[in-house]
Amino acid sequence: MKKNKFMLFMGLVIVASMVLAACQPVAAPTEVVVEPTAETPVEAPTAAPTEVVAPTVEPTPEVVRTTRKGGWLDEIVFSVVDSASVITQLQAGAIDIYADSLSSKDLTAIKDSGLSYSTASGLYYDMMFNPAVFSDGRLNPFNNRKIREAMNWIVDRDYINQEVFAGGGLAKFFAITTQFPDYADLADVARKLESYYAYDLEKGRAAVATEMEAMGATLVDGKWNFNGAPVTLVFIIRSDSDGTRIPMGDYFASQLEAIGFTVDRQYKTGGEASPIWIGSEPTDGLWNVYTAAWSATVLDRDQSNIFQEMYLDSSAQGIPLFLQNVSDPEFKDLGDKLAQATFKTVEERHDMMARALELSLQDSLQVFLIDGKSYIPYQNNVIATADLAAGVQGAQIWPFTLRFKDEEGGTLNWATQELFGDPYNPIAGSNWAFDQGAIRATQSGDYMYDPYTGLLWPLRLESADVVVQEGLPVGKTLDWVNLEFAPEIKVPADAWADWDAATQTFIPAGEGVTALRKTTVYYPADLFETVKWHNGSNLSMADIVMGMIMTFDRAKEASAVYDEQAVPGFEPFMENFKGMQIVSTDPLTIDYYTNLYSLDAELNIPIFFPTYTFGEGSWDMIAISNLAEAGGELAYSIDKAGTAEIEQTSWVGGPSLEILAKYLDQAIAESVIPYAPTLGQYLTAEEAVARYDATKAWYAEHGHFMIGTGPYFIDKAFLTEKSLTLKNFADYPDLADRWASYGEPKLATVELDGPGQVKIGDEATFDVYITFKDMPYPTAEIKQVKFLLYNAKNEIVSVSEAVAVEDGLYSIVLDAATTALLEAGSNKLEVAVVPLTVSQPTFQAIEFVTAP
Amino acid sequence: MTPEPKSGSLGEKKKATNSTFLRVARFMSFRVIMLFITIVIGVYATIMIANMGGYVDDIMRNNIKETVNLRVAAMTANTQTSTETRKQMAEEMIALEEKRLGLDTPFMVRSFRYLSNALQLNLGRALHMVSDNGSRQVKNIILERLPATLLLMGTSQLFLFFFSVFIALALSRSYGSFWDKLVITLSPTSAAPPWFYGIFFILIFAAVFKVLPFGGMVVSPPPDNTWDYILSVLKHLILPAGSLIISSLFISIYNWRTFFLIYSSEDYVDMAKAKGLPSRDIERRYILRPTLPTIITNFALLVIGLWTGATITETVFLWPGLGRTLFRAIGFYDTPVIVGSTIIYAYLLAFTVFFLDFIYALVDPRVKIGGGK
Repeated sequence: MKKNKFMLFMGLVIVASMVLAACQPVAAPTEVVVEPTAETPVEAPTAAPTEVVAPTVEPTPEVVRTTRKGGWLDEIVFSVVDSASVITQLQAGAIDIYADSLSSKDLTAIKDSGLSYSTASGLYYDMMFNPAVFSDGRLNPFNNRKIREAMNWIVDRDYINQEVFAGGGLAKFFAITTQFPDYADLADVARKLESYYAYDLEKGRAAVATEMEAMGATLVDGKWNFNGAPVTLVFIIRSDSDGTRIPMGDYFASQLEAIGFTVDRQYKTGGEASPIWIGSEPTDGLWNVYTAAWSATVLDRDQSNIFQEMYLDSSAQGIPLFLQNVSDPEFKDLGDKLAQATFKTVEERHDMMARALELSLQDSLQVFLIDGKSYIPYQNNVIATADLAAGVQGAQIWPFTLRFKDEEGGTLNWATQELFGDPYNPIAGSNWAFDQGAIRATQSGDYMYDPYTGLLWPLRLESADVVVQEGLPVGKTLDWVNLEFAPEIKVPADAWADWDAATQTFIPAGEGVTALRKTTVYYPADLFETVKWHNGSNLSMADIVMGMIMTFDRAKEASAVYDEQAVPGFEPFMENFKGMQIVSTDPLTIDYYTNLYSLDAELNIPIFFPTYTFGEGSWDMIAISNLAEAGGELAYSIDKAGTAEIEQTSWVGGPSLEILAKYLDQAIAESVIPYAPTLGQYLTAEEAVARYDATKAWYAEHGHFMIGTGPYFIDKAFLTEKSLTLKNFADYPDLADRWASYGEPKLATVELDGPGQVKIGDEATFDVYITFKDMPYPTAEIKQVKFLLYNAKNEIVSVSEAVAVEDGLYSIVLDAATTALLEAGSNKLEVAVVPLTVSQPTFQAIEFVTAP
Repeated sequence: MTPEPKSGSLGEKKKATNSTFLRVARFMSFRVIMLFITIVIGVYATIMIANMGGYVDDIMRNNIKETVNLRVAAMTANTQTSTETRKQMAEEMIALEEKRLGLDTPFMVRSFRYLSNALQLNLGRALHMVSDNGSRQVKNIILERLPATLLLMGTSQLFLFFFSVFIALALSRSYGSFWDKLVITLSPTSAAPPWFYGIFFILIFAAVFKVLPFGGMVVSPPPDNTWDYILSVLKHLILPAGSLIISSLFISIYNWRTFFLIYSSEDYVDMAKAKGLPSRDIERRYILRPTLPTIITNFALLVIGLWTGATITETVFLWPGLGRTLFRAIGFYDTPVIVGSTIIYAYLLAFTVFFLDFIYALVDPRVKIGGGK
């Protein structure tokens, strides 16, 4: 009996401990990134964009500078955790940040836990329709554009956002991303259309009924019939991914049923669904609707091609369903022209984009629903910068800003979902986000991507001149780039325009070559003294020239390291590339000629720093890896490694290391100067051996070949244990606080103040207060403040711009003629504030009553 | 009566020896052929199932198209790249990827190639997966995970086996006692899988008491000192091994105890008890001995079962074992890894089944190899 009581007691203790574990105290949530409220609308720009000054190595007056160089932290320990236990591990203090983001389903738990978090672009979701006429005679309603358009009215995006995404997403109507610059630029147009296409089931039902009847369908007992059979829609609903597509699909299916369709819901994984929606012939009619989702991992400042990509039969996606879409001729023409950049000015492009937005909703091959978000949780004593699109680990800036609050140094525990997904090498190595997150910390580079605008700031560069041919719609925002236009840009005959892999020399451009763009980049005079590799060697001209050579060599059949994997990207590059020329080596100045251009001058900067696609590489490491590849023992790319049945080059661990070490010894013994006919002009045998020796010493100490110039270096990598330790690189040239102002996005906080009651026909003035952390937002950092005036029927009456009064204050004056357009009732005034420092507009609205 | 010639006796002995040899040889040959055929059928069935009879090719082709389109979109972002150029890039990249994955060869041809290579233990290269140290050799992917799996599964399953047998034997002697009833009462707890216990263990010992790690095989970064490393591994082993043990312990004891009870109630055991033999002798000579073939079979299957790992438990504890690897391989449709893992298991199983026949004959005099008729 005593034993039974004892067992009972023990059982109760266990149950109690489980209950206690589930009932830990929670602190108030701390939110770092404030999402724009999905409120209502606006037109017309305010002041012209003002240039923004770059972060420099000079101290900011009011901030006490650090003497620390490199990153803020002493050490960052990477480890792998199960995403299901992230919140618990953060609460237990086992980790400091989970750099792989969590999805919307975890948002509530993050908030409840009281942890800080940043946001990043998640997937964006839509309903994709099969636009084909079915060959078996069945009626496909979505062959009809009007019916597809009507789908916008039958879906309540705000409901989906609240119910499925815990309010963390953004209602989405367009293919362009709601947080990217194009949306900010078109905010007024977008808001107008969003208002027109707002949820209205009856409007959608009526539009569908009109078209269905015109197509010969009849409504029998509330169900659409065609040729005596119910119109059944095959709806492919993805059952995997992040789990949001099932509730979204079910909701949409219910709405379709509510307007009379019979829906065959087929739940399928991505693997099961893709042969149907991608692989099948649309005319076979295997599906009608699919719960699609896309991702935007780059903060794309120019989404001109998105309409062609997402709607038109000329889409580069090459998926049969796009080929079947017969679009409105105006939309087709406009989409193709935008994709081909057939516009002369930024203003012309703006107008074309505005019209395309409107026509895209009329086409609605895809009805966009939600711009999803993902969430990066971390401890409240951590400061982390998140790129608007790519989050923390995808942000180039994270190694420069990640730190503990009010503390220099320390060890931070960085958790991620996986590590060492593929071998590390800078040419064709691991592109997994979790691996690149670590690699990013080891590299520096020519420039820094602004995480909030997608523009470039100089990092190792000093300045740049961009010259483009007259008539091209290129503009600039930042002051470190000088933009000029020229009637013709001639390429010097002796500029390097191609590479002869057989003779290992550059091929000159020759006479009479012109380009649409020339960019001249200027490096600081002390570049080769201040910038050091992690093994202590100074950056040298050979590192720069090796990068130039590698742009070409792997795509040349005569090369010892030829790889057909390099060809698909190389051919389009060569179509536009016209030449490059080293104008000076002290200070380093290089001219670059091409026909390729971006709309922002800041994005027209080529890379000459030895930053390759997947990481940095010193010339010596490239040389050793090339020797191993030429020797048939390793290959940079998975394709070549697979074909040759050899291992893929890895600088961080595995069987590659011994092979690389062997070739390193060979290079030392033979004083190898790679590509000697060209690199020999920049490198002596003694310099080469000194560099090889430094690399050998590094390998002996750290057990890997990952050597960069970034603010952190990889101290140790444990591949099987999935652990990696980064340490601060004290010889990094910049102070740790150089990018401190990027701790968080400068999202505007907007308040509207004005009369609650306005007499129709009288003038009314409203004040717009714009702040950031309770301080006035500088007018110089605001691109535009637009406003939209809605009448009592929620119709837009006026779109115009606010007038700057002083920093943080704008004024909106509704003149007598404007208020005369309003009827008696409750009206709404909405402003859209578009800052220059972050490409995310803030919306705010105020209601007022009008009376005669 | 004339005695039979001695030579005849010798001849008969020789004849009998030859007969035994032939019988065993015939048995072995037949057994080997049958097992080999079984392996061929099993492995080819695995190849067909893993590839859904070739349908996976369609899935992979469409996945490639989707992935490449996204890659091209990212590569050409922020540049005025023409539609034709993007299309061309995509087409070339798709062609390369299809070639790399062997999709340019008909599935049936590849399926027999997979089979042939597998039977020769030429495991080849993974399509998508990579070993932790960056190798794509299936052999390396499997061998790298083997020690972790053997450590976890070996520790838990061997402990579970011997502990269960030992306790069950004791319980079979004290039928109806408090401890016997306790085991019977607790045996339904084994209805919950190991990962279920794992989640609670993590919650209690890692999140609340913070005395044991959440998961992984070693602390991050791993200690430089070997002893510290071993201690760290052992500390990380406690929860996953504990989950595996707890989830099966009571049902395992219950099963063995019931099994032994059947033998404990045989007449010859009662007779031994009546003769006053010590209970230890009764256990060893009267209960364990006749049950030995069953125990050995269970043990042998347990040992080769270690190879399969514990997929979900390994996932919950982020234990770098073979179970997770196989699970990921199935998700990736990585046929070489799936086939590699299967063929090794198939060979191990075949060898075990083959040798068990001989072991039965050794431990149980009633068994005669090839003497089924």
